[in-house]
Parts: sequence; structure tokens; C-alpha cells
Amino acid sequence: MGLGALAAGGCGSSCAGSRARPTAQTTIVAPKTEAARVAPPVGKPRVVVVRTCKALTSGYDADRGALRAMLEAGLLALSGEKDAVRALGRYVRASERVGMKINGLAARNAATHVELVDELSALLAKLGVEPRRQIAFDRFKRDLIASKFALAPRGDGYQCIGNDEAGHEDELAQMPSSASRLSRVLTRQVDGVINLPILKQHSLSGMTGALKNNFGCIHNPNKMHLDNCDPYIAEVNAIPAIRDKQRLVVMDALRPVVENGPSYQPGSAEVANALLFATDPVAVDTVALGILEDLRKQRNLPPLDQVDMRPTYLSTASKLGLGVSDRNGIEVVSLEV
Amino acid sequence: MTVLSRRGFFLTCGGCALAASAGPLLPRRALAGATPRAFPARFWKKLEGKRIECGLCPKRCKVEDRERGFCGVRENRDGEYLTLVWGQPCAVHVDPIEKKPFFHFRPGSQAFSIATAGCNLECKCCQNWDISQAKPEDVDFSYMPPDEVVRGAKQYDACVTFTYSEPIVFLEYCIDTAKAARKAGVRSTMVTGGSGEAEPMKEALKYLDGIKVDLKGFTEDYYQRMCKGKLEPVKKTLEVIAKSGVWLELVHLCVPGQNDGEPEIRSMCRWVKEHLGRDVPLHFTRFHPEYQMKNVPPTPNATLIRCREIGHAEGLRFVYTGNVPGLAGEDTSCPSCGKVVVARRGFELEGMHVKNGRCEYCGYTMPGVWS
Repeated sequence: MGLGALAAGGCGSSCAGSRARPTAQTTIVAPKTEAARVAPPVGKPRVVVVRTCKALTSGYDADRGALRAMLEAGLLALSGEKDAVRALGRYVRASERVGMKINGLAARNAATHVELVDELSALLAKLGVEPRRQIAFDRFKRDLIASKFALAPRGDGYQCIGNDEAGHEDELAQMPSSASRLSRVLTRQVDGVINLPILKQHSLSGMTGALKNNFGCIHNPNKMHLDNCDPYIAEVNAIPAIRDKQRLVVMDALRPVVENGPSYQPGSAEVANALLFATDPVAVDTVALGILEDLRKQRNLPPLDQVDMRPTYLSTASKLGLGVSDRNGIEVVSLEV
Repeated sequence: MTVLSRRGFFLTCGGCALAASAGPLLPRRALAGATPRAFPARFWKKLEGKRIECGLCPKRCKVEDRERGFCGVRENRDGEYLTLVWGQPCAVHVDPIEKKPFFHFRPGSQAFSIATAGCNLECKCCQNWDISQAKPEDVDFSYMPPDEVVRGAKQYDACVTFTYSEPIVFLEYCIDTAKAARKAGVRSTMVTGGSGEAEPMKEALKYLDGIKVDLKGFTEDYYQRMCKGKLEPVKKTLEVIAKSGVWLELVHLCVPGQNDGEPEIRSMCRWVKEHLGRDVPLHFTRFHPEYQMKNVPPTPNATLIRCREIGHAEGLRFVYTGNVPGLAGEDTSCPSCGKVVVARRGFELEGMHVKNGRCEYCGYTMPGVWS
């Protein structure tokens, strides 16, 4: 499926941005040769921001058709492939067991949209990853339930597992500043992980994104919130099992929590209608931080660093070699569908 | 069968005896992964929205709805703060009181020892990290309300001891159990890192008979770097305890190259003498490689001996070495006549010459709780 076809599957003709098109600052991903499709530009990590005008139907519910279009457009732009299934195949193999790390802590109103995970699951199935080899997971089964994920597989649906059910490894993963036991879902039940964070302002770390979402892969995130979560977020992401299994980030920024986060309170979220795609978790968080700050500015809220919430962990993560935290060193591709 | 942490069963020799003979005590057991019961927590206040601030320890965690504090065992649910460990110990053992170590608190007696998951520190050298650094769901636990704990202690003619992890994080359970114990004529003791706020500590002290505090280091740098905590609040807690009249003993785990420098030890001993008194026993114990410090060798005996010498030189009257059975420094000598009044080897008593709280040789009143 090409970019043009995606537009029709998304907003339809009533939407002004009904065609996948670049915005003013866009770097267009338009591979013209086979070689270009195989290898995205070397050097700068790419972050794709896909927006639509109709991702949300009412309240927090999302339109699956719109999400499907956004998902496919994002994968195509990120990978340089012409077909969404092949694009996804750049990051996971058909033979693998795939984990989908969601964030359900704040429950339905501020959790990764189940509709997004459903659509990703369907695409994985088309790739050949049967639903029984797909696992959506997070810290507690109660959070999965509260976020409307079904714990028991629905027919041919993917599995949803809380780390409290699956348990954690007895052996410790050692870090310079702490030590953690890893989720057995991560270590034993999946070969690769697609990280599906939700974008939120966070009163301690500054923001919740791809890097912080991996706190849900360890048994003791409660020990990691001192000092703006720095260096803990970075060190957790440098644990080999977490770093090496993460293949792709699809960030849910449809309705980010922009103030009083990370828990949801009425009025704390703002509609942004965006999904972000990247393989570099530091780069995607850096771009997401810009989106968060813009949304806060619209509400006349101060920048995070003025309220002692600067996400300093981004530069720490960059120093650990986990990705790029310099905005000028990131290729941002913006699309509307 | 009592419920023990996976590794915890081997923490004590007493555990086997209890497991074999504690039929009537059998608590209901839940395996790791089970959902713990939630009970209203005390010592917290509401903030804006559904946020709350915990007042149990100096971290004063500001906890979001559906989140937990640093300790991992207290949770905000819809603006109400709950404890997930009240009455739900993950370790239950009968230990010699010397293991705590208490050397001046009913020597030779037993301690009915309980712990829940959780801690408000994270010491890199923690010996019990598998329960202290765990959430309630991570470990097996049982339902054991206060009266059942007291019944168990009476069965062994033991005091109740809150220990192994950090009792401050299960303080409501400690207070309720110690209250019930006092009513039943059973004594209660606590083994703690001492990192608590004054108000809850004072409430607990009303019902406790003895406290052993781990004074883990004597610099802010050590507490921050090695324990994710602070020294100053511990010093304040120690002063609160000293004023309360509850029997107090101190332990300093000597971690090679980290907190065993002579200036630090000397300064600590001086402070103890000046602020807590010369009769507070101070135990210098051997570090064993654990948790995040498996690459550090055990404390050399010479270090422990030197620390003990410093303690004596600074005017402390009861300074001990520990975790090295047979090393000089385990016996208690009478400060008046100099004779050994309590002879020990490891956790075993080899001689007891304190009668009715007095030295059998010269009649000197020995500081401590002896009967």
C-alpha cells in the first residue's frame, strides 16, 4: 500500500488533510530506488510524526480506521518501504514472538489506546506473526484491565499479560546506580519488543515517553524516581535485554497528558492526534518533548525546566549511547493522513 | 508451615524449628503474584487533585493516583493511601535475639521475627534484598494479623521483632502488633535503618521495648551514594529514640573502602557518645558480598578490631564486633570490675553473669533489659 492509498483509508475526503502530505518542515521520505528503500539515511535517526484530524471519536475512544492509516503511513515513512507489512517486517520477523509494551498505569483515559494495539496486532498477523505469538504487557494485570485490554485472548486475539502474573527473573540486572529483576515476559516470552508508550507530562521525570515506558520491564520502578529519574531511566534502557530487544517505538500522542501528570485528571489532557515512529528511543522522546512543550505553551503553562521538571535523563541516555538527544541531530518527518 | 521468602528460609536456624512445630500458627499462604489485601494507611496527607504526600519517612513521597511510593508497599487509590502489607508478612522466623543483634536485651532469649516486603532505602550491600527491594506481589506472603503474631511469640516465649526488611514501611502493622503484644505481656523490638519521620516513630516508640538501628555510615555522601537515603534524618531519629527511654543498640556494617575510614568511625563514635550516651552498645559487623556489591571482599577482621578500639578510645563502654564468630569482641564486660559478664560465641551464650540486671561479681547495674 502506498502513501496515497493510506489517505483514503484514514480521514476520507471530508478532511482537509486527507492526503498523506508533507508539512512545511517535512523531510519527505520518497524512496525512488531499491537501495533507498532498503536503507534509511545513515547518520541522523529518523522520527516520523503522523497526524490526522479524526483519530479520536469521542472522549478517549479512537477510530480504528484512522489509526490503521496512521500506523501504515508511519511505518512506510520510517522504513522507506512501499508496503506496510514489509515495512513492519523491517523490525520484526514473521517467525518471532513479539512483545508490545504498553503503558496502562493511568487507566483508560491516559493509557496506550487499545485500538492502536489492535491495529498493530492485525498488521503483525499479516506479516505472519500469529496472535498467539503477540503479547501486550505491562506491570500489573489490573492496569491492562483498566485500560480495556482483554486479559484472556479473544478468539484469535493477542495475549495480554501483567508482569505480576508472569513474574520477574530471580537474577538481578546490575546497573551503576541500582539493580533490577527483569520481567519474564521480556526475558522468556518474546524475541523482540515494540514499545508503545503514551506521551505524558510527569511530575518527577518531566515526561513519560519511550524510555520511561521501559520502567514497566523491571520489578522496582519505585526505586528509580529520585533526582528526576536521572540516571535511572537511562540505565534501565541500557540493560542489554531491554536495549537489544526493542525494535521499534510507536508512541501514542493522540491525547497527551500535558499537566498534573502522570496520572489522568479531568482537563489534564490535550488532543494532539499524533503518533510518533522511530527506532531510536532517545530521538523519539526528544521530538515528543517538543510536542509536549508546545501543548503546554498553548495552555500558558511554563516550560518544564522552569518548574524543575526538565527531562535530564535524555542527555544521560544519549551519553550512554542509546540514541540522539540533540534536536538538530534528528531527522523529523511530519505527515498528515 | 510458615511463609518464608524463597531465600529467607535459610536466614535463620530457628526457622526450621518453627516450620516443623508451628502447626497451630499456620497462616493462610499466598504465592508470589497474588494480590495483597489493602488496608488504610496512616501518616499521610492529601494534596491537590488525588495526589497524596506520605509522612512516614523523610522521602515524603508525593504519590500520584494508582502509584506507589519509593517503598513500593503503599499505594494511592483514588486519593486514599493504602498499605498493602498490613498483616501480610513474607518472612516469619524464630531467631536468637543475638542475631538482631541485641546484646543487652534479654540475652539468650528468642525473637519471633517478622517482615513484610519493602524498604525506604536501597542499600547496595543489602543482605535481604530479595524481600526488602520487592513489592508485596513479588514474594510469597501470609495473612497474619497482630493477635496471631502475638500468639506465635508467646508459644516460643519470645519477644516480637520487626526485622529483615524495613519495619518503618509497615509501621501500622508494627504499631498494632506491638500494642497487642503489650496487652498480652509480650515485648516488642524493632530492627530498622532509622530513616523515619519523628511523629510516626514517636507513635511506635510508645509500644516498643527495644530498637536496633543500622547506622549505615556517617557521611551524607555514603547515605546518598550507597543507600539512596540521608544521614541527617537518621541522626534525628536516634535522638528521638534516646530521649524516649526505649532500649537502643546500634550496628555499623563495615563495608571495605566505603564507610570504614578511621576519621568517619571516630566521628561517629564521638557523636554517639555525645548525643545518645556512652552506654549505647555499638556493634561493628562484617560485610558479606551481596546484592550490588558482590565484587567487594568481606570486611577484614583487622578492620572490625580497629573500629572497636576506636569506639573504646572515644569513651563508648559497650563496643562489639559481629558476624565473625569467635573473633574477640563478642563478650560483654562489666564497666566497673572489668570481668566478662556475658560470654558469647556467635549467637550462642557461653556464660551469663548478670542477675537481676546487676553484675554478679561487683553488683554494678548493667545498662539494658535483662529480664
